[in-house]
Amino acid sequence: MTRSVLIIEDDVRIRRIVAMTLRREGLEVTEAASGQEGLDQLEERPHDMVLLDLMLPDRDGFEVCREIRRRSDTPIIMITARTDSHDVVAGLEAGADDYVTKPFVAKELSARIRALARRSRGDQVRPRIQIEDLEIAPQDGVVTRDGAVVPLTRTEFKLLSELAAERGRVVSREELLERVWGYDYFGDSRLVDVHVRRLRKKIESDPSAPTVVTTVRGMGYRLPE
Amino acid sequence: MTRRRGPRTLRGRATLALTGVAAVLTAVMALGVWLYATDYLLQTRQNVTLAQAAANGAQVQRGLATPGLSPAQLLAQLPRETGSVSLLADDGEWSTTSLRIGRDDLPRALRTEVLAGDPSRQRIVVDGRPYLAIGVPLAGLDDAYFEVFPLTELDSTYRVLSTILVLGVLTVVPVAAAIGWWVTRPALRPLDRISAAAAAIAAGNLTARIDPREDPTLVPIAESFNATAAALERRVRTDARFASDVSHELRSPLTTMLNAMALIEDHADDLPEDGREGLALLGAEVRRFERLVADLLEISRADAGSGDLVLERVRLAALVHEAMARRELDGRAGVPLRVASGADDVVVRADKRRLERVVGNLVENADNHGGGLTAVAVERSGDIARVIVDDRGTGVPEAERAAVFERFARGSGSARTASEGSGLGLALVTRHLQLMGGSVDVTDNPGGGARFVVRLPVDPEIRRPG
Repeated sequence: MTRSVLIIEDDVRIRRIVAMTLRREGLEVTEAASGQEGLDQLEERPHDMVLLDLMLPDRDGFEVCREIRRRSDTPIIMITARTDSHDVVAGLEAGADDYVTKPFVAKELSARIRALARRSRGDQVRPRIQIEDLEIAPQDGVVTRDGAVVPLTRTEFKLLSELAAERGRVVSREELLERVWGYDYFGDSRLVDVHVRRLRKKIESDPSAPTVVTTVRGMGYRLPE
Repeated sequence: MTRRRGPRTLRGRATLALTGVAAVLTAVMALGVWLYATDYLLQTRQNVTLAQAAANGAQVQRGLATPGLSPAQLLAQLPRETGSVSLLADDGEWSTTSLRIGRDDLPRALRTEVLAGDPSRQRIVVDGRPYLAIGVPLAGLDDAYFEVFPLTELDSTYRVLSTILVLGVLTVVPVAAAIGWWVTRPALRPLDRISAAAAAIAAGNLTARIDPREDPTLVPIAESFNATAAALERRVRTDARFASDVSHELRSPLTTMLNAMALIEDHADDLPEDGREGLALLGAEVRRFERLVADLLEISRADAGSGDLVLERVRLAALVHEAMARRELDGRAGVPLRVASGADDVVVRADKRRLERVVGNLVENADNHGGGLTAVAVERSGDIARVIVDDRGTGVPEAERAAVFERFARGSGSARTASEGSGLGLALVTRHLQLMGGSVDVTDNPGGGARFVVRLPVDPEIRRPG
């Protein structure tokens, strides 16, 4: 099945060449030159993935990111000009799922796009899991608390279900980067950390004292047995 | 230039000066006390003895007028203090009350003067003891009375006094030195502060300043120092920002270039022979350019400060192992990684991303400029963890060892044509290690190539005993 990617980038040369490359990789690409145009495109029809430049002429990239997140759970890979902690972390906090730093090679990006765009909901044959008052149903792709659906993004859900599949065991950041984000080696462990923080805000009764997703210092994360 | 003698530190010189002044002053005082005291004691003694001698002279005069008394009897009757001796010259005949002191012990000049009718006195020494001889002329021709008073007591008083004074001077010198050392410490503390701030700036902390409020005497120097430091900081930051801005601006075109390059490479088979060769050259240069921009940005960011430094506990051996695995993924033949016993679980406090760059750059340097990597080792001795990277090149000549860590350094032995580096790799290694409290240097390895040694402090939290 063809995945559709929306690229929001004001630099026409980068936009053109990335779009060309991704099309050659078998993806369906829509181009948008501004934040507003990108949001309009998304309104028109859903995409499997958004590539979003944070430096846009009309709207602040972080704001566009939050806006997309408000409307859908479409995975977002942000394009940043720097690797500074605050830029990356702020983007992830704004709802981005992954990031790529200029200069990047779009060809090397396709594996990650596929990993994030993979429909995780309903395509897994994993049993339902009950942890405290949370119920994780991988087959339905939903997490419920006391019967009410907890709104998770696809990446957050995938992260939770990967941990749930190994419950009781510590899963390292590297393993999570590989399974959730599609990094074959060496991703940025901040991706995992910020996503765990986002996840905790949604599923923990007290995010500052987590009982579901617990940190094992220097090793990784774990869900209780 | 002539070398200055004596202590070179300001504090040493100040202490020495203070000690010198104290020594001279006490010596002058001691000398004054000595001169005054000895003079006073001698004067007193002389007054007493002169009165005594005069009285005894008068009594002898009267006795001589009394017939029937021999000179010896006459002298024996005289009141005398202990130890003093009376001598009498009567018509050239000499009598004495002591066996030890006689006519010949009196200086001829004294005798002549007194016998000629002038009272006189003189200090003499008999058998090594000091005496004061006083002569009183008598009425008859060639008659005179002499009395010799011992000065032994006065002498021992002098000795005690001089001992006390010398000891006093000798005590003052070290005490003055100690006080000087102690007193100059707070006085020179401002200088310590200035030198500490200067050292901090030299070590790379451009924000180091002197707080003039700490000491009013510091205000003028602190102000000019701080102004200089601020100007330096501005300058360095401007330079760093410029380099950073330049590399930022290059990122967007570079993105287009890299992706266009990759696209064309996909069509390389459709190109004629020379077109493919041109493409290969272009591709290599574009990637080198990418590397240069990335390194330039990274080093300018490191220059701008340690803002994004994230220190965490890193298992050194595991990190080096991963770096080696990545190298093999890039298609290089594996080389032995030796982890010394006790170093397998060593944890350092470091910025993981930076440390990865450090190890990666050293390994790459060995492969690209050192004729190939031959061995990597992780070791630990005490509180220091080491990563050792050996290559099979010609080594780095002693004279070039510091220079290889400079920016855009090109060693004489490096294969320039095969170079894919940015020229910033080793400079980045140095800069990153500096930020993490570590260091790097280069020596020879036993196989003849270069050996780069990274040193990092072991994380104190998990330092094992011993």
